[in-house]
Amino acid sequence: MESFIGLHFIDWIIILVYMAGSLMLGVYCTRFVGSAEDFFIAGKALPFWAIGFSIVTSDIGATDFVAVAGAAYCNGVSAANFDWMGSMPAMVIAAFVFVPYFWRSGVFTIPEFLGRRYNAAVQFINGMIWVVVLFFMLAIMQWLSADKLMYTVLGWNPYWTLWITAGITGIYTFSGGLTAVVFTDVVQLIVMYVGGFGLLALSLWEVGGWTTLHEKVIAMGPEYQDHFRILLPNDTTGPFPWTGIVFGLGLVMAVAYMSGNQVIVQRTLGARSEWDAKGGMLFGGFLKAMIPLMVALPGLCAVVLLPTLGRENADRAVPEMIRVLMPAGLRGLMFAALFAAMMSHISATLNSTTTIFITDIVGQIRKWIGKGALPEKLALRLGRVITATLIISTAILAKPIADREQIYVFMQTILSLFQGPVLAILLLGIIWPRATQWGGLAGLVLGVMCCFVLKYTPGLFPSEDPFLFVAWWSFVFALIVTIVVSLLTPREPDEKLRGMVWSSVVHDEEAQDALQERVAQ
Amino acid sequence: MEAWIESLFKTLFYPILAPIFHPVDKFLNWVDQHPFTVGSVSVTWASICGVGLFVCAMLWVCLILNKEYVNRGRPYKSIWTDLRLWTIISMTPHVLVYFYFTR
Repeated sequence: MESFIGLHFIDWIIILVYMAGSLMLGVYCTRFVGSAEDFFIAGKALPFWAIGFSIVTSDIGATDFVAVAGAAYCNGVSAANFDWMGSMPAMVIAAFVFVPYFWRSGVFTIPEFLGRRYNAAVQFINGMIWVVVLFFMLAIMQWLSADKLMYTVLGWNPYWTLWITAGITGIYTFSGGLTAVVFTDVVQLIVMYVGGFGLLALSLWEVGGWTTLHEKVIAMGPEYQDHFRILLPNDTTGPFPWTGIVFGLGLVMAVAYMSGNQVIVQRTLGARSEWDAKGGMLFGGFLKAMIPLMVALPGLCAVVLLPTLGRENADRAVPEMIRVLMPAGLRGLMFAALFAAMMSHISATLNSTTTIFITDIVGQIRKWIGKGALPEKLALRLGRVITATLIISTAILAKPIADREQIYVFMQTILSLFQGPVLAILLLGIIWPRATQWGGLAGLVLGVMCCFVLKYTPGLFPSEDPFLFVAWWSFVFALIVTIVVSLLTPREPDEKLRGMVWSSVVHDEEAQDALQERVAQ
Repeated sequence: MEAWIESLFKTLFYPILAPIFHPVDKFLNWVDQHPFTVGSVSVTWASICGVGLFVCAMLWVCLILNKEYVNRGRPYKSIWTDLRLWTIISMTPHVLVYFYFTR
């Protein structure tokens, strides 16, 4: 199945107008950037609605449209768990446990918060992990979008697509920083919603409605009986048994992702108030709940509309539905939506990688060699240089890094190898004043080692790809290690903890004032 | 390389870790095969835990957390700026979805 989708003149016009509009809006935001704070956290001026929109678009890439629809074609609605179980509970926990502390402490990054709560080594290690992971992800998402999506569907040269999208996103992220990223995200989510819900409406109309869809899928045979079951049995050999989904995804991976992932949390750090930071997270969760409707349900409809597609070609469900169902004009809008998803995902990751690199790697190295904190102007200039270097280097290395089989398993595996331990030390750092810097360091390092042991020791779990269980058990292990080592080492001075832990912030206004003074210094 | 690491880890760690994780897997399988029954209604533990996670998160924000803490920094006092209401509005569709798909 190698046929490409042809675009009408009107489709080209829509795509070009969208691309030019994004670039102009992004470059326009340059006028709001005068300092490093403006560039990295939008000058702490973002309203809740912009944060909510931006969180969703940062999280959803063009390849999600294709891959989640393909997973829904093969496995049914359980493919939607990552956007439902894997989002809202975690976003509520993030909004009320983590975000207030991050926002009040005035930090630019999550590793920086860990550095203040524990020590510089924890900050540096966590920063290094994130920079390496985000670099890989940046390269992977660029190549996947260009090759697996635009080449496979439209027949476009993947190198041209890669460099054009890298160029446009690079220019506005380079110029306008987080402000440009967030405000282009708002427009991009609206375009994504229009395109995605258009496809859903046409798909359901063609099938004959929800009830008919349900009846027809179930009637297709025994392998489709679980297609409307969202939580699969514990002994399923697939990667998503309900125990892994609830405990591994819902309680660990999702919370770690929503609370410890710089790409997500950076938007709330730029909020104009604590209420906007929390409200933005909740609003983002509400918007994100609709994503499976436009990415997973068309995949289910494809089971009925494209029965000959077969599981091996499941990732072509969305492209084929676009070809079969969408008229000229709407087709252009749908591709504009895919470009929107692709560009917003790239720009968000790019800006966050730069922020961590400057704050937690360069900043720490300067402190260690006795040069002190980066001057404001130098940080801004360096931020732009790193942005340009990252987008160019990941574009060059995209194919060698990402051109491999089972890329999604590779990405999930990378994330599962450190998210449990990072969540454990973040959580204990906030809720348990007795957690010490050495406890945090031991929890992080030994926890990551535990992840590798669990991941590479076969036969421990029923699932063939047990990354959800790895996340859960490494979280438990890191909790235990942090607690034990903390109890064996001297407690941290009260002055260091003021404003950083739960009890001192919820109940102590003076502590909050002290924290704000510390930030002001 | 990956196969070599797996073989090494299996030799080194499997004998230590299998006695910890296998009983847990067996217990979870047993739980999975024994649904919770209320009168004549049988409810799976998967649906209790799945829906329960959303409901617990809602109850925690609305009933346990300090109201001042939840809404700290809100622009003006009104029911529409109360983040407890936002939590309920954003969580309820999820509860309904999981209830529907786990019946």
